[in-house]
Amino acid sequence: MSLRPPPVIPRTAGIVFAAACVALGVVPVVLDLSAYAHNQLTFLFITIAGALAWNWMGGFVGQISFGHAAMFGIGAFVAGRVSLNLHLPVPLSWLAGAVVAGVFAIGAHPLLKLRGPYFSIATIGVGEAARVVFTYWEGFTGGSSGLSLPIDGDLKYQLYWWALGFAALVAAASVVIRRSSFGLKLLAIKADADAAADVGISAPFYQDLVFVLSGAVVGLSGALYASFQSFIEPADMFGFDRSIGFVLTAVIGGVGTALGPVLGAIVFVVVKLYLLDSHPELHLGLYGMLLILVILFEPLGLAGLFRRVVRRLRPARGGGS
Amino acid sequence: MTRLVIRGLTKRFGGLAALDGVDLALREGEILGVIGPNGAGKTTLFSLIAGSLRPSSGEILLDGRRVSGLPAHRCVRAGIVRTHQIVRPFGNLTVFENVLVAAIHARRPGARPGAGHARDRAGEVLEFVGLADRMTQFPGTLTLAGRKRLELARALATAPRVVLLDEVIAGVNPTEALAFAQLIRRVRDERGVSVMMTEHVMPAVMSLSDRVFVLDHGKQIAEGTPAEVVANPQVVAAYLGTEAEQAVAS
Amino acid sequence: MERLLDLALSAILLAGLYATMAYGLGLIYGTLRVVNLAHGGVIMAGAYLGWTLHEGFGVDPYLTIPVVAVAAFGLGVLMYQLLVRRLPRGPAGGPASLLLLFGVWLVLRNIAYLIFTGNDQTIRTAYSSRSLAILGSHVSVNRLVVLGIAVVIAVAMHVLLKHTQLGRAIRAVAQNADSCTLVGIDVNRIYTLTFGIGSALAGVAGVLLATLFSFSPNAGASELLKSFVVVVLGGLGSVFGISVAALIVATAEVFAILILPSYLTTAVGFLLLVLVLILRPGGLFGYRVLS
Repeated sequence: MSLRPPPVIPRTAGIVFAAACVALGVVPVVLDLSAYAHNQLTFLFITIAGALAWNWMGGFVGQISFGHAAMFGIGAFVAGRVSLNLHLPVPLSWLAGAVVAGVFAIGAHPLLKLRGPYFSIATIGVGEAARVVFTYWEGFTGGSSGLSLPIDGDLKYQLYWWALGFAALVAAASVVIRRSSFGLKLLAIKADADAAADVGISAPFYQDLVFVLSGAVVGLSGALYASFQSFIEPADMFGFDRSIGFVLTAVIGGVGTALGPVLGAIVFVVVKLYLLDSHPELHLGLYGMLLILVILFEPLGLAGLFRRVVRRLRPARGGGS
Repeated sequence: MTRLVIRGLTKRFGGLAALDGVDLALREGEILGVIGPNGAGKTTLFSLIAGSLRPSSGEILLDGRRVSGLPAHRCVRAGIVRTHQIVRPFGNLTVFENVLVAAIHARRPGARPGAGHARDRAGEVLEFVGLADRMTQFPGTLTLAGRKRLELARALATAPRVVLLDEVIAGVNPTEALAFAQLIRRVRDERGVSVMMTEHVMPAVMSLSDRVFVLDHGKQIAEGTPAEVVANPQVVAAYLGTEAEQAVAS
Repeated sequence: MERLLDLALSAILLAGLYATMAYGLGLIYGTLRVVNLAHGGVIMAGAYLGWTLHEGFGVDPYLTIPVVAVAAFGLGVLMYQLLVRRLPRGPAGGPASLLLLFGVWLVLRNIAYLIFTGNDQTIRTAYSSRSLAILGSHVSVNRLVVLGIAVVIAVAMHVLLKHTQLGRAIRAVAQNADSCTLVGIDVNRIYTLTFGIGSALAGVAGVLLATLFSFSPNAGASELLKSFVVVVLGGLGSVFGISVAALIVATAEVFAILILPSYLTTAVGFLLLVLVLILRPGGLFGYRVLS
């Protein structure tokens, strides 16, 4: 007897997922992608990874962070400096970026004791403080001049597969977490942290753990982004708009679902591309309205819409709960 | 054999002692009723034992091991679990998942024999409380009685040695109340769990409890069998009317 | 010594602005248990409206306040009726309301950007650069006027909450909305009015802000933070509490500028705010009452 509601998206989806990854992997080789398209996809993969990682905090644990740009920026600049000044191979510099971002997240431990809006507003504070500090720490970030990394055409080309692998890993991890007992505990904490403690789950421990993982992964995405852009400046990397980006991609995509953020990231990047040509100023307002619509009408975002469509197409399975 | 020993337990909030030097013992395989007027300190006592509050002084020993001052989740691992007066199910998890997440941590030595795997355990506990047919539903769709059963199931899933029931019976209709009382007896008899319960439904407490402990203004004022307690003039003065006497007599 | 006096005066003057910013946020949070993340956006909108009326029609910025108040009130009512009203109340609605109002903030920001471009603006009047000599210090006229208006608003708030029918109703709803329905209070109407008044206060604060500092569509984050900290420190209780808290925050800021290089003060400011949130016992305000 099945003791859990049947997953709306069946196990075969895993095969589809793997196939998609493989397909994406060979696309640049098989199709003659323009450099522009190739790079946009790279950017998309990096965005997907970051959004998924944000969702571990915002969706699984239920603490909405408006300050993830801090870790994104730290990852980027640490990676940049490590490869520039220490002349270490680039992948190692990415790892360094991830680690330092993770350490920063450990340092943010006191924040995790805050609940709900308190936590969220505190993250705005931390994010903005980081931006100001790093903008003026010219020795590290280059201040308003930013940091220029050597432009490496080969690296930028290969970045596509690094980013794809990264995104795929983070996506797989998201699904595994969601369906595991670990994920179950996170959801319990999200529902009621005190009641969770009353059944043996230590909320602080799991919140810390997820925050560090989320921070490290977002830091890694920042590091990859640094290699992608070859030029990074603190006002942009640590900017409030970056933090907002994480929130938007995850929530519009489907906060709390395992793979919703993937959809959100796709929409985000596509809209940005399209609007960038015609009306660059409109995109935040558009996302704002999408956000409002999502909250009011489909809390599970695009993923929720997708699920509804799938349910409609499978009347035999019943309506679930 | 004593399961739980409490010595000199005190909790102060500011200048006020919600609990003042309480001594209490919970024996193995017994149901201990804790009663007292509102504000007597019953919930504070439970919170201290279960780890949601830290004592100002005094100690709590479970099977000889000190548990006072341990945070709630550690207390659960040690074998003490509580239910809540106002039920707090995890609304985003199904009934089964609610119990499953509690069962995951029940990996203590001495857990009920044959209940190795968490999923098995969860299923078994749900059978026990009678919610097996609701496994895939969400707590929001259950009646209050159903949610109280779920609360109990969740507590039992942690394989506790001691369970603290905070007004589990209050608020349900008489038929369900009787069913609950039966359930509580079975918890003691079939699962070898010691029960401490607080309740305002006097007939329930008096008929279920092996012993009764009476609190008033944070201090113990009586202890004994229901009959003894009811006859105690101090208790009567503090709180009970003829209600309890009738309940014991019936 | 003179410097100290200068700073003290600066703090008092700044406190008036901060208190005005905080009332709106506090009122909404205390009554609806919703943290209005669009608060900064409404402040910014108020600033722009005041600026537009000043630039376009030559109205003295301080005289635009009634108009801005009414407009912001209307905006607040709209926000509540169209959006916030549809959310489930209580802890379950928490993240949803945060995100919803955040979305509103983004929209407001974008509208401002479209209409006014992203450049910094400020309201300058004939008397903007004038200052008066008070107790040996030079105090800018603007800051004095802002303080004066802030005091008037504080008094008005106090009168509203303590001595009017509406105020009593608001306090009752803040304490226990369910009971209020039982005694015939139209809770929805109170929520609507509260959101309106809270937004009106934010809008007015925006005008005041515009006369003192420059602003752009991106303004709002630090205003939101400061307002929130003032509310947390001062309590949802009295207008007096918020005023005192505003003074504390303003003083800390003013004296930080004394000790630290300018760029660090903003960062320290943010971190201090975070510290206040962490150290505040309990963290969850939840059920404190507007008294």
